[in-house]
Amino acid sequence: MNLRTTTIAAALAVLLLYGGLILSLGWFFDGASLTNALWSERTLFSIRLSLMTATLAAVLALVVAVPAAYALSRFRFPGRSLVDTMLEFPIIVSPAALGAMLLIFFNNPLGDWIQTHAIQFVFAFAGIVLAQFVTILGVATRLLKTAFDGVPEEMETIARTFGASPRHAFFSVTLPLARRGLLAAFILAWAKAFGEFGATIMVAGTMAMRTETLPIAIFLRLSSADIEGTVALILVLVVIGLTSLHFTRRLMGGKAHA
Amino acid sequence: MLEIQKLTSAAGAFRIQDISFTLTEGECHAVIGPSGSGKSTLLQALLGVLPAQSGSILLGEKDITRLPIEQRGFGYVPQSLGLFPHLTVRENLVYSPRARRISLETAQPLIDQLVEATGISRLLDRKPETLSGGERQRVGIVRALASQPKVVLLDEPFTALNESLRRELWWLMRDLQQQRGLTVLLVTHDLSEAYFLAQTMSVLLDGRIIQQGDKATVFGRPVAGDVARFLGIETLLPGRVVNENDGLATVEIGTTKIVALAIPDRTKAVFVSIRGEDVTLQNPDTTLTSARNRLTARVVAIHEGSPLMQIALDAGFPLTALITRPSFQELELNVGSTVLALIKAPSIHLIARDAG
Repeated sequence: MNLRTTTIAAALAVLLLYGGLILSLGWFFDGASLTNALWSERTLFSIRLSLMTATLAAVLALVVAVPAAYALSRFRFPGRSLVDTMLEFPIIVSPAALGAMLLIFFNNPLGDWIQTHAIQFVFAFAGIVLAQFVTILGVATRLLKTAFDGVPEEMETIARTFGASPRHAFFSVTLPLARRGLLAAFILAWAKAFGEFGATIMVAGTMAMRTETLPIAIFLRLSSADIEGTVALILVLVVIGLTSLHFTRRLMGGKAHA
Repeated sequence: MLEIQKLTSAAGAFRIQDISFTLTEGECHAVIGPSGSGKSTLLQALLGVLPAQSGSILLGEKDITRLPIEQRGFGYVPQSLGLFPHLTVRENLVYSPRARRISLETAQPLIDQLVEATGISRLLDRKPETLSGGERQRVGIVRALASQPKVVLLDEPFTALNESLRRELWWLMRDLQQQRGLTVLLVTHDLSEAYFLAQTMSVLLDGRIIQQGDKATVFGRPVAGDVARFLGIETLLPGRVVNENDGLATVEIGTTKIVALAIPDRTKAVFVSIRGEDVTLQNPDTTLTSARNRLTARVVAIHEGSPLMQIALDAGFPLTALITRPSFQELELNVGSTVLALIKAPSIHLIARDAG
């Protein structure tokens, strides 16, 4: 086999693997079970909860990631390379470990004080948002840094020669020019938060109708050997995930490394 | 209007040093120099992108040396033009007045005049990516002028254009500059552009200004060999002054002697600088001429340039002449032909060799 054939075969093997996994769901697919599972109050609650927490986590992540990514893209400052390295921290540490770290933090005096005097995180709605936020912040910042790197610094300089303050130049030139990357970062962060499981289960637990996000609902249904219900919920997750990837790729002009 | 005094600034390991020049109101001054001479560094230091290590920049009465970019008050046309791609032409034009909080009622009449003068009125609702190169240049120029800057900085704005479009925009820029009394600092490596647009110029080499003055003097009387080389003077050779009499110097180049105007500092070792267009070619039997230097020369090579022909000669030393095509045909020149090369003494410029 020549190089072209070998490499294309490898690429198609990737498709076969993931596509095969999705198609294999069909073995246990049952229309009636799907309808029942989808329209059950518990499933709708899970979807609603996941939509709310993922949206909130993605918005909060962007609030922090936009300025952080801009600083990493434009400025040299002490600790810059350390910050840059830490962006991959949530990827190299498993989500479960990340969630466990959060749980341990809330058992420290400072964490305990926060829980007592400010917001309750453990086994609560805020805990789900926090777990998702911590998981997606790094990747959102990395994606936004790439977006800001793509905006020539000269554009800001030109805006400033025309009298714009650095803040005005950022909002009137840099941010609009990075808008595709910004939207792509939001969608990807949101999709990742929507499917987040490991950290969420550590911090928020598996309380039905309280902290049961869609991935946790999948876990609980599988635990109770409800395969058809599990398949139905996985399909919801797959459809939402693939739709997000599709929009991200369109926004990035087919260049998204999702 | 703009006074730069002993400005020193650095971009990485490269630095511009002790840069001084002055622009009077309504003047176009060109800073010329080859790539890597420090032109961009100078502009960045003026704009405030690079900090000044020493020296000062005075704009009007105001010392702007330490002011942030947005408070300097320059109009800037960068080489890339840097039109904001997410804004329409109209939005690009009002960007500066808006950023400077100038009301549109105040700014609009000037913008309308400039739009009219540059013929871009039909482009106002278009995005920059849909414009041609020439249209983009016009928009870039109007945008820079829209907030009535005290000084306009032009960074090789016409380099990327084809020859005819460049000349068209030179005329436009010169008309705008002269009619509106704009004070312009042009930074370019294009000698034709500098000569056309500027009244005065500075030659920047290796981060230092080597020569300043009105353009005729800079082009005709380079003060250093490096300047003459950059200016593209066709014949630049080392020579030795062997005699001086009545303001005329006899210079020896190899074994050939020529007569030139003497230079004040009585240096013996000189560079002999002769522009190709100052060398006249005649048939060898010509006798009627007032030129001091009559050199019998052999044609070594012929280069067909446009619009002038470049004739490489051996006149006892390598000499280049630029002649028109009709003259070339009239003289029936071929490689190996013998001609008479005539050069008037004032057309030969001597440069003290220790000047570089």
